[in-house]
Amino acid sequence: MSFSLFNLAFVCGIGLLGIGFYGLMVCRNLIKIVIALQILVKGALLGLVAAGNLNGQVNLGQSMALTVIVADTIVAVMGIALGVQIRRRVGTLDIRELSRLKG
Amino acid sequence: MLSVLTLLIIGIPWLGAACIWLAGDRRPKLLHALATSFAVLAAIVTLAVLPFSTSNAVIRIAMGGILGDFTLIPDGLGIFIAAIATVVGSAAVIFAIDYMGQHAHQLARFYALVLFFIGAMAGLALSGSLLFAFFFWEITALCSYALISFHNDNPRAVAGGIKALIMTQIGGVGLLGGALWVYAYFGNYQINTLLTQYHSLPPVVLSVMGFGFLIAAAAKSAQVPFHSWLPDAMEAPTPVTALIHAATMVNAGVYLLARFYPAFESIPGWSIAVMTVGVLSALLAGLMALFADDIKRVLAYSTISQLGYMFYAVGTGSIFASQFHLFSHAIFKALLFLSAGAVITSLDTRDLRKMGGLGKSMPFLRAMFVIGALGLIGLPIANGFFSKELILEGGLESGPLIFYLIMLFSAGVTALYTVRLLYMIFWGEPSGGPKPAHDGLPAMRVSLIVLAFGTLTTWLLAGSFSQMLSNTLPFHHLEAEPTIALVKQICLAPTTWIALGVIALGFIAWSARARFTAFAQAFRPIAEAGFGFEALNRQIVNGVKRSATFVQTSQTGQLNWNVVGILAGLVIVLLVVLRGV
Repeated sequence: MSFSLFNLAFVCGIGLLGIGFYGLMVCRNLIKIVIALQILVKGALLGLVAAGNLNGQVNLGQSMALTVIVADTIVAVMGIALGVQIRRRVGTLDIRELSRLKG
Repeated sequence: MLSVLTLLIIGIPWLGAACIWLAGDRRPKLLHALATSFAVLAAIVTLAVLPFSTSNAVIRIAMGGILGDFTLIPDGLGIFIAAIATVVGSAAVIFAIDYMGQHAHQLARFYALVLFFIGAMAGLALSGSLLFAFFFWEITALCSYALISFHNDNPRAVAGGIKALIMTQIGGVGLLGGALWVYAYFGNYQINTLLTQYHSLPPVVLSVMGFGFLIAAAAKSAQVPFHSWLPDAMEAPTPVTALIHAATMVNAGVYLLARFYPAFESIPGWSIAVMTVGVLSALLAGLMALFADDIKRVLAYSTISQLGYMFYAVGTGSIFASQFHLFSHAIFKALLFLSAGAVITSLDTRDLRKMGGLGKSMPFLRAMFVIGALGLIGLPIANGFFSKELILEGGLESGPLIFYLIMLFSAGVTALYTVRLLYMIFWGEPSGGPKPAHDGLPAMRVSLIVLAFGTLTTWLLAGSFSQMLSNTLPFHHLEAEPTIALVKQICLAPTTWIALGVIALGFIAWSARARFTAFAQAFRPIAEAGFGFEALNRQIVNGVKRSATFVQTSQTGQLNWNVVGILAGLVIVLLVVLRGV
């Protein structure tokens, strides 16, 4: 396996995925979770573009990535907006505290 | 044309359910009208398809991939069950106009579920694909659960619903396993493929399937040892009880066995096992009915007992007799349940001990109840007589003598508990309980009269019914017989007279009941405990609930743990994919 841009992209993508998953696993702060989610999705994006390149369908990969960027931005905005509301109403952003409020 | 009509049998009730759900609870009159018109329309369409029954698939839709083909086959067995579901369903819906008047705020949910059930039951009977039969089977179980627990502020209703759901799921799992197994060997889910090529299955597979389906059928049809959910299901509104827990859904088990009889009959021990289940159910449920004090529970036990007769008939190979009794039973039991429902709304109690001497103030309901009782006991003129005698005749011919004698004894017990039921409601001393508010409201009367007419006349259809079954069931090798020949055969058979004698003994036992009081008191606790099967059923239900609670602990509701679960799942999938490649 020779070193190439594609391999680098895959390695970076998997690295970003790992960071994102790690963040989701350990973070309790809602804002940090949104950030971790963003990093996770960026890793997936890198994978999409690289896979498109590998297949010879560069345009498809990149347009998919663009679509995901749009959708992902909405997710981030919604998540942070929810965070703001929760902070105002409940006074905390700790998800363990929040899940104790259920029922 | 036929294919469209066949699809409409399922489509009309489901469309009706959707309309009613959309209409909401605000206008009860609109809901009554919608439900009645959709149910009656479905019944008319089904009856229109009835003369054109065929053994070929009229609809075949390739669902793609592992789902196989969705086929509808309106053959004699299928269209006949669909006809019972839609016709009795219409009667129940019409009855509900008066019965459900007091629950107007929940009406949409009630009617939508009832119509959803009617469509699913028709689909179950018509489906030629085992997989889709399983889907419909599950929908009927779900509707049954939701309707038993209809009064969801009553803990007993909720418990009864959950018990029924869990017990009938035993059947669902067996059916799904059978469907997947058929797919594994034949590459499709068609029931007819199994019936033509079952020889090519390894004997062990066929046996497991045969006995698995027997357990499935016993659970769905509330047979011993899984019977105890049916009496507990009596918390449902009475029209639902009459439709689902007397006339249609509980018959699904009998239908399943009758449908697969050609494939399973050669399995060693299968017929005897079916007969044993039937005989035990008929006898034990009959005895339990003798000691029940709740009007609906008595009828529930009698349903179990009559379903036992049908199982017994399938075991002895009298498929026609079993289906004929299913037909008769659906009509007279629906009549009995609906009459009981009218009595219950009139008195606002289900306790037999608070009734008595009501015959004078409720002559109409008494007449209806007596007609239903004629069918249940199996006295001439009513349809139950002919079908039950056919079963007993078949049993004497091809079953063990001891089973025949037990079934005869059960016929006597049937007469005894039916007379007790009638006596405790309409004759005897008034108990000083509540005064009857009415003698059947108008809509109630309409459906009761239709069913009473059916109870007295449907045996005239025996000939054409047997013709239809023999024409459209190529694997069952049934012989068509005209009505007159059947009636002659029944009337001239010595078994008929023996059975009538035993029934007379049942009557005599009631008139001499004072002598048995001591014995009955000693026997009562055993019967009320359901001969120990109640405990078994309770353990199954509790076991399922415990495992559900155990699985619940994995639902922490914490994002971090969920992500760990997702990652673990991802790793497992990746490993499987890597190993597979």
